[in-house]
Amino acid sequence: MLWKLALGGIKSRLKDYIVLFSGLTISAAIFYMFQSLASNPEFLKANSTLGMIVFIFYFGSVLLGIITLVYILYANSFLLTMRQRTYAMFMMLGAKSSKIAQLIFIETVAVGVISTVVGSAVGVGLTSIISQVLVKQMDIAITHFSPWSTSAALVTAVFFLVLFAFAAIYNAGKLVKTPVLNLLNQAKTPTRFKRNPVLWGIEVAGGLILLAVGYWSMAQLNTLQLFGLGIALVTIVLGSYFVFDAFFLMIIQLLRRNERFRTKELHSFTLGQLSFRIRDFTRLLSMVSIVFALALGAITVGLGFHDTIQTMAEQISPYDLMLHDPTTASQKQADALSPISVSTYQYKVAGKNVYFLASDFNRAPFKENQPQQRADGSYGVKKVTYGEAEMLKDPTGHTQTLADLVTQKAPYQTITVVNAADYAKVNGTVHSTQLYITKDFMAIKDKLKPLVAADQKQEGSTNANMSMNQKYSVYALYNTMMSGFEFMGLFLGIAFLAMLASCLMFKILSGAASDALRYQMLEKIGTRRSLLKKSIRQEIGTLFVLPGILGVIHVLFGLQMFKVTSLLPQPYHNIWLPFLIFLVLYVLYYFLTVQLYSGIVLHSGKSEEFQRGE
Amino acid sequence: MANVVTVNKVRKVYGKANEKQTTALKDVSFNVQAGEFIGIMGASGSGKSTLLNILSTLDKPTAGDVKINNQDVTGLKGNKLSDFRSREVGFIFQDFNLLENLTSRENIALPLSLQGVSAKKIAPQVESIAEKLSITEILDQYPTEISGGQKQRVAAARALVTQPAILFADEPTGALDSHSARELLDTMTTLNKNDGVSILLVTHDPFSASYCQRILFIKDGVIGQELKRKDQDRTTFYHQILDELGTFED
Repeated sequence: MLWKLALGGIKSRLKDYIVLFSGLTISAAIFYMFQSLASNPEFLKANSTLGMIVFIFYFGSVLLGIITLVYILYANSFLLTMRQRTYAMFMMLGAKSSKIAQLIFIETVAVGVISTVVGSAVGVGLTSIISQVLVKQMDIAITHFSPWSTSAALVTAVFFLVLFAFAAIYNAGKLVKTPVLNLLNQAKTPTRFKRNPVLWGIEVAGGLILLAVGYWSMAQLNTLQLFGLGIALVTIVLGSYFVFDAFFLMIIQLLRRNERFRTKELHSFTLGQLSFRIRDFTRLLSMVSIVFALALGAITVGLGFHDTIQTMAEQISPYDLMLHDPTTASQKQADALSPISVSTYQYKVAGKNVYFLASDFNRAPFKENQPQQRADGSYGVKKVTYGEAEMLKDPTGHTQTLADLVTQKAPYQTITVVNAADYAKVNGTVHSTQLYITKDFMAIKDKLKPLVAADQKQEGSTNANMSMNQKYSVYALYNTMMSGFEFMGLFLGIAFLAMLASCLMFKILSGAASDALRYQMLEKIGTRRSLLKKSIRQEIGTLFVLPGILGVIHVLFGLQMFKVTSLLPQPYHNIWLPFLIFLVLYVLYYFLTVQLYSGIVLHSGKSEEFQRGE
Repeated sequence: MANVVTVNKVRKVYGKANEKQTTALKDVSFNVQAGEFIGIMGASGSGKSTLLNILSTLDKPTAGDVKINNQDVTGLKGNKLSDFRSREVGFIFQDFNLLENLTSRENIALPLSLQGVSAKKIAPQVESIAEKLSITEILDQYPTEISGGQKQRVAAARALVTQPAILFADEPTGALDSHSARELLDTMTTLNKNDGVSILLVTHDPFSASYCQRILFIKDGVIGQELKRKDQDRTTFYHQILDELGTFED
């Protein structure tokens, strides 16, 4: 009988259960995806030049584990608030509390098992889709990667089942211990907000100072090294907590005191809800702001690396394409790209010597970008051009510079630049090399690919000894190096984002049942539905925006770490793109939460009979 | 005297056409005059809650119409309905229905904010109604910090601050101790007499009902009997109600 009742309860709240299930499924899927990367050191090593990356991923998966734990706790409290009235009813009807505890345990674990299994399956699917999409869209080369990983599936299963078992025991214990009456009419009663203003002020100042210290130490990472990271971690976590516990609350209290603002529309209600919530949400909101920063930071840095590829290719190679002894066909193809400049250099190979014609350098001075370390320790390039006069000043001094121009089939030792008269006297095989500069390298890079491949084939060379003077080769080289970073950044970022937004969503939803009463009251005293919806949007919006703002500030300062350590030369370049991607996803979560919350707290237009049945 | 409420042949049927139907109200008609303190009495299931829900625009009748301040409320929908509720009718409920995350002052000010009244005008209106209901002392306290009687006074202040055409009270003393109940009913009487507030009280409690000037008895969805207090004192009227209930229940 109890079973029937329990199942009936699920059926009647199917919509809420679907939300719960899909949330848990997604979290399991993300956890699996993460594990499939983290438990795949070959993949990580093959895609990154840093040995540290495996460690970073372990760190990441611990962090994700913690977030998942918090998430499951919230999701379970949502489950519990959904069910507690029904369970209390059973208890009132005389069901033994041990029986109820057993039911809760079974229900919680069942929810967990199903969502873990479905989630892992979704995870496998998502992993293969995401890896394919990334490979195609972003020209990323990832190797040693397979969507299915037995160890990842095992870790996911064990992790989730253990968490759910704990949650089940906790839920059962909590429900059985709470008096039935409280369960039947549980409404949160906010107590008066009393605070010592001096301590409050100290907390506000302390929070801001802690954040400042954290930001400073990230900017000083070069001198502070690992110690700086430690300082930043502690101060920013504490600072965020204080800022939510004191600073934001202070702003809300100030708004509440502003008579004109407060008495407009539903502002007093929205502010009341918020100040009640923020106190309840302090820990969650500070966690969200930090994970938000990590997620956004990961995406920004990931895309930053992508950007670096282009910048580095730009910086290192002046020429887009180099053709050794071009054929008519290849020349035609290259001309079709409408290059803005074509430089042709002739040379003769005679035994161990190669002779270049000096007048070619008069027509088109040879360009080279030489890497240099600046005074402040950062790296840059020095652009050098070699004209005829300079070449003739030191005829044999440019062997290194011109090496890439000479076909690899010539077993030469010295390159000499000579004038026309001497060149005519040289008895050897005639060769030529053409260098192209196009208007927009990124736009035509795919068309360059076959030309480069054909040239390499003709030359019999491999990627290993390709020319640094050809942008395409440099681009390809950096792309393989950086795409690993990029993939991980995007992946980490999206995984973290999904988890943190889901945490926030469930925390808000688990309070919806008790909020529903307030919205009913407001409706009874004649509040327009549009105003109620506006208030909901504002309230949930604030809960999303506050950690978002703090998170963005964390990121903006955090990027200093990459700048001062020269990991990313221009971390703020094109920063709008990752922010936009992130914003779109975050806003989607916001709308989803508003929708689900409104569905719980606002009755549909038809059923205005909520006062019936006394 | 003008009617503030006109109920004309109101019928309410629950259940769909092809299912088993229950008729909660059967062609109920009556009027409430401006400045009247009227009571509606009936046992559980008599249809009095259904009637109140329809009068207060929380529910719609299957047939018939209800006019409040000469406006037909049965056809109102959406924003018009909400606006009508916030301007023309005030409610007090058995369980107070205060928003516990707002102070008493904020609770009372809310309906005015909803109407877009400016902050400057709100403050004196709240003060004035609070004075009438003797709750000036507790204006800055939260509902959880005040007694049941005080809560109901705050609720009454919130209902009356917009100066509605009529105040609907649904078992307002149901959750109060006898002392607080008496105080609240006295206050309602004073408001009715001195300020001319029209009040419609729904109750099953003869003591509360004895404060009214006129009582309608409802049973099985029909208004069966009407009692008028006229010049009788309250105790006499109370006994008359008890007698009436005795015969009415048969």
